[in-house]
Amino acid sequence: MFKSLLVGIHEVRIYLQDRGELAFSLLLPVVTFALMYGAFGGQTMFHGTAHVVNLDSGGTYSSRLLEQMGELDSLDVELLPRDEADRKLERSDLLMVLYIPADFSEKLAAGEQTNLLFKQRGNGGREGQIVASLVRGLAERINQEFAVLQQSNAALAGRGIPPERIEVTTRRFLEREQEHPLVEVAEETVGSNPNPVEQFLPGIITMFVLFAISLGAQSIVQERRLGTLERLMTTRLSVGQLFLGKFQAGILRGFLQTLVLLVLSYMVFQLFTPVSFLESLAIAFVFAAAASSLGLVIGSVARTEDQAVWIAVFMTMSMVMVSGTFFPVSEGTVLETISRVSVNTYANTALKTVISRGGSLADVWMELVVLVGVALVGLAVSRLLFRVMPGGR
Amino acid sequence: MPEEYLVAQDLHKSFNEHKAVNGVSFVIYRGEIFGLLGPNGAGKTTTIRILSTVLEADRGDATIGGHSVRRDAEQVRGLIGVCPQELALYTDLSAMDNLVFFGRMAGMSGQEARAQAIARLELMGLSERAKGKVDKFSGGMKRRVNLAVSLMGHPELLFLDEPTVGVDPQSRNNIYETIRGLREQGMTILYTTHYMEEADRLCDRVAIMDGGQIIATGTPRELRSQIGDPNSVTLEDVFLKLTGRSLRD
Repeated sequence: MFKSLLVGIHEVRIYLQDRGELAFSLLLPVVTFALMYGAFGGQTMFHGTAHVVNLDSGGTYSSRLLEQMGELDSLDVELLPRDEADRKLERSDLLMVLYIPADFSEKLAAGEQTNLLFKQRGNGGREGQIVASLVRGLAERINQEFAVLQQSNAALAGRGIPPERIEVTTRRFLEREQEHPLVEVAEETVGSNPNPVEQFLPGIITMFVLFAISLGAQSIVQERRLGTLERLMTTRLSVGQLFLGKFQAGILRGFLQTLVLLVLSYMVFQLFTPVSFLESLAIAFVFAAAASSLGLVIGSVARTEDQAVWIAVFMTMSMVMVSGTFFPVSEGTVLETISRVSVNTYANTALKTVISRGGSLADVWMELVVLVGVALVGLAVSRLLFRVMPGGR
Repeated sequence: MPEEYLVAQDLHKSFNEHKAVNGVSFVIYRGEIFGLLGPNGAGKTTTIRILSTVLEADRGDATIGGHSVRRDAEQVRGLIGVCPQELALYTDLSAMDNLVFFGRMAGMSGQEARAQAIARLELMGLSERAKGKVDKFSGGMKRRVNLAVSLMGHPELLFLDEPTVGVDPQSRNNIYETIRGLREQGMTILYTTHYMEEADRLCDRVAIMDGGQIIATGTPRELRSQIGDPNSVTLEDVFLKLTGRSLRD
């Protein structure tokens, strides 16, 4: 046990000696944090831009439509020439553009049907879809206005009332209706907006801890390349002690990165209570242990550093993708079943419970048991798979 | 009657279909320098790896100080020091840190390891660079650190696998003097080299290996006398006569 501790300290010393790696691994959480702050520190209300090609320039109804679009708080309107809009769509600079046809006002004035056209790449993107919904709402309002006007004109035809007066009166009624609609949509606030930092922080923490997999995998292969592994195996150090030492070093390295991220989050975003902060550290520690032992498993089977790095990258990316780290995994789906084999899932769930949902360690005991189990089994498996060299002990 | 310290009996080791070591048996007496000579691929390094407990022989066994390398690997490791052919050092650490770390791994206390590291670095003429990063050392200095590391922990038997490859005459001379000094202190040494003159000067007895087998054993003089006048024939002549002149790699 004591020798394994010496190996662990030795590993950390080498880690500290390499200033490039040290700076990278400790600055990366700071940079990530800064990006997170930049991304989530500002407003979170929707505000989009409607890109419009108005081929009916100067038309009464197209002008009214644009005016109504401009009155919406959540929308900016940007008019584009047709060629530019087509080009930007072609290059995916824009995902959705609204085209107002040249005969838009003319047809509406004649009481004929006309079309607004949305050209989009794929599904138009989330912003494009929201903008399209807003424009559809305005088009619907125009439709209603025309329908009511036509019906009013038809009902009052032959009574000697000038059509202009019918239109003015009808519009006044419509405006009053819009100000006091029959069906009003009310909003009731039941809590503050979901904090995006709270939502993303667990994923970012687990992703950083996953770096321990790559570092652990490389450390064994590096020792083999340097020849120090063979040399160590001629000393009184046992393979078990060697692995335990590297396991401890892996935990410490993974944990150090997480610590930086958690402390910054604690200080700037004030997401934690002192207790939930310590609980998050405990979860990160256990997860770092699981990640460290997985790194040793890879290090035991990889022959070269490239192999070790790529296996670790593949494993890390796969775990991030399937575990709901950055997007939610729906219950009862195949992805949810697959996510159960990723240790990241358990760490993510545990951290989310403590950071976002106000839970405690008692609520995540099962996740912690799984992570501890992975750490122990990984350590045992890596020892079984390890050979100093082909044909070696 | 000298004490048999290392006894290798019928060692075999194959990698896939290739027989790297094929029935190797020899004895090394306590306090002698035993040279293991052979062309590239003869099986010298594999033999050392079996004797130093890194590899397990497919067949046969060896005892070191009465302990079986197969069954008592832990005890054997407490008796040996290994200076591998390739440099095996933590290049990001200082020479001192390397020696202290391997000393601790050999079972020494921190204080003892530091004291011995200072002594070993002085022995190898590296005292002034003790705190320098190994990465910045010249090839010869790295070789001397490599040898110094293998001396940590008071080994009784030292395996030196071509310790003078690629070093300048000054460093090589320092290594020779160190090895002679170690023998005077009673250390047993198994020495492999490609330099026949070196083996002739240093070794009490030598074994010549080829194709995974020992093809001749004796003192350098005995081997020289097998093919002519021992005063005019060199060990290299003997080596070439026994192993042939064809290229091996």
